Amino acid sequence: MASGGGAGGSNKTYSFKVVLLGEGCVGKTSLVLRYCENKFNDKHITTLQASFLTKKLNITGKRVNLAIWDTAGQERFHALGPIYYRDSNGAILVYDVTDEDSFQKVKNWVKELRKMLGNDICLCIVGNKIDLEKERHVSVEEAEGYAESVGAKHYHTSAKLNKGIEELFLDLCKRMMETAQAEERAKGNGASQSSSARRGVQIVDDEPQAATAAGGCCSSG
Amino acid sequence: MTHRSERRGIHVDQSELLCTKGCGFYGNVAWHGLCSKCWREENSRAGHKQIQEDHALAERLQREEEAAYASSQQGASQPQPKPQHAIAPFSKFEERKTKEKSRKVHTMSKFFTTSAKTPPKKVPAEAQSTSSPSASRRPVETDRATQEFISFLKTLKPGREIFKQCRAFTEDMAYKRDLAADEMSEYVQDFYQNLSDRLHTHFKGSSERVESVMDEVERYMMTRLYEGTFCPETTDDENKDLAIQKRIRALHWVTIEMLCVPVDENIPEVSDNVVKAITDVIEMDSKRVPRDKLTCITRCSKHIFNAIKTTKKEAASADDFLPTLIYIVLKANPPRLQSNIQYITRFCNPSRLMSGEDGYYFTNLCCAVAFIEKLDGQSLNLSAEEFDLYMSGQVSPERCKAVPSSAEPAALSQMNKSLDLLTGLGARQERVMEGARRLESDLIDWRDGVQHKVQDVLERFPLETQPPPSSTASSSAIDADNVENDLLPPPLQPQLFAG
Repeated sequence: MASGGGAGGSNKTYSFKVVLLGEGCVGKTSLVLRYCENKFNDKHITTLQASFLTKKLNITGKRVNLAIWDTAGQERFHALGPIYYRDSNGAILVYDVTDEDSFQKVKNWVKELRKMLGNDICLCIVGNKIDLEKERHVSVEEAEGYAESVGAKHYHTSAKLNKGIEELFLDLCKRMMETAQAEERAKGNGASQSSSARRGVQIVDDEPQAATAAGGCCSSG
Repeated sequence: MTHRSERRGIHVDQSELLCTKGCGFYGNVAWHGLCSKCWREENSRAGHKQIQEDHALAERLQREEEAAYASSQQGASQPQPKPQHAIAPFSKFEERKTKEKSRKVHTMSKFFTTSAKTPPKKVPAEAQSTSSPSASRRPVETDRATQEFISFLKTLKPGREIFKQCRAFTEDMAYKRDLAADEMSEYVQDFYQNLSDRLHTHFKGSSERVESVMDEVERYMMTRLYEGTFCPETTDDENKDLAIQKRIRALHWVTIEMLCVPVDENIPEVSDNVVKAITDVIEMDSKRVPRDKLTCITRCSKHIFNAIKTTKKEAASADDFLPTLIYIVLKANPPRLQSNIQYITRFCNPSRLMSGEDGYYFTNLCCAVAFIEKLDGQSLNLSAEEFDLYMSGQVSPERCKAVPSSAEPAALSQMNKSLDLLTGLGARQERVMEGARRLESDLIDWRDGVQHKVQDVLERFPLETQPPPSSTASSSAIDADNVENDLLPPPLQPQLFAG
């Protein structure tokens, strides 16, 4: 979680890592491309890739750097998930409202994420493609009920119509900031302590060295 | 030396062969005209000068720093703030350092009781050369790293302190090569963390500035520490390297279609990008600094994106990228893959690895390796039996299976195209050779012609060598033909006069 707060101080920049999970074809890529570059199915492509995107935000006077990590959604890459979402602050789990299977996949992801990262991670469950409302196969009640039961927020989006996407990311950022702030408070007096606590065991000489641990000298560590 | 070669023939002054220092021994061009002894002296002096320059710079920075500190102190004229939190003044810092050094030696003496005679206060020049026992073997690269690091720090206010800390730390690490790799990693990471925290809080650097400083710190330190930290003997990295290498070799039969790679290698531009990506991922092994290695991975990834984009005509998502990266790794079989990954994980600046674009591509590479290790029939849409057959090498996919229609014809046509190209090249080569032969015979004809003409001219105007007139018989006597010689009066005789 070192990337989480960027340490104390009120004018610090927050940098957050957000992973994007979901089966292939649910529109993960469209979603981020719409958000970061406001493009959808653009024939005149200038973007080289849509797998790693960044966005800078300013929320209530605080600067936030958002790094969005797309993940390969194919079933055979499922086992690689933990490598991707290690140290992430948020996860966006996308399913296709017309595809029941993709919603089941989301449930699997949620279970895994909670198991690996506990409650430190902010989860968003996103039903994409609401422009295809007529072909909906996942009911609103079911999805929202499930999200609530696992402590996640639920959103409905359409990358095609550019609906609900801004709200989704803004909300997620606010939640991640809250988590980061809570974490800072829990750690007491901020940066120096958390950093030396972060890496567990120090190589200790026989005499006690309280002064060093508190952050002064780098060549000792 | 140049004027010597201008003269024709072997005409060398004795003095030019001697050592230019004038010691009386013979010199050598390779040693800039010095003899071996003088050259050695000169050389070591240059090395010392370099070290001294570094020190002079460090001193200067310290003086500036102190002056700045003194002026700020005058302004504030308060007692020093608590040493734990605020930046300690330099005298303090110095003191703590010596204390630390003595403590270090103390600890050291416990480890190696025989070597307890290490002088507590080291001459810095010596320290620099001992910072890594193998420094003498590769001084060029490390020296360059030091130089670059120093010139970079010149622009910074706390430059001197950073340099001092880094050098002390690097020096210290040299004694710690027996530590387990994870401990070394912790050690280095703690150093990064502390230093960047300090830069943030004490020197009020902006995040970008601190990042760039940390990059340089990493470059300097890891160039020096590379030998002890890359694939250390205490780990089984080497075995893992061999294992993954063997594994990738065994998987040589995996095709683009099995992995569902969205790349069409029939497009020349795409295959070009694939080759570049392969080159880049192989090149990673040749870099010393973790960040340079990351840059190689990033370049490789960019080529992959280009290849995907050219094929699919849309921006690549992770669904496309990861399979392609796996394919590239399988094709490239990069040397010491696991060691490199471990090295980057252990010693790279964490902020770069965990967020950042480079970090993303690195994570994907880790995923690719993990996938290759666990790969089975199912993940390639093959039955377990098929997979086993291919793995054992008894059957190769092309022969036993109805190959996906496009694969072989495509490869064949590519081959035919290449063959055509080769034939064309052969024909051109033939033409060039013919031209050359013609030119040669023309030259011979011309020479013969000229010879003929010269002969002709000679025959028509034969060279008459006229003997110089009347130099025949008595060439030696000057006045041989002076006939009236005898008629001359006898030479005058000296006469004596009395009185």
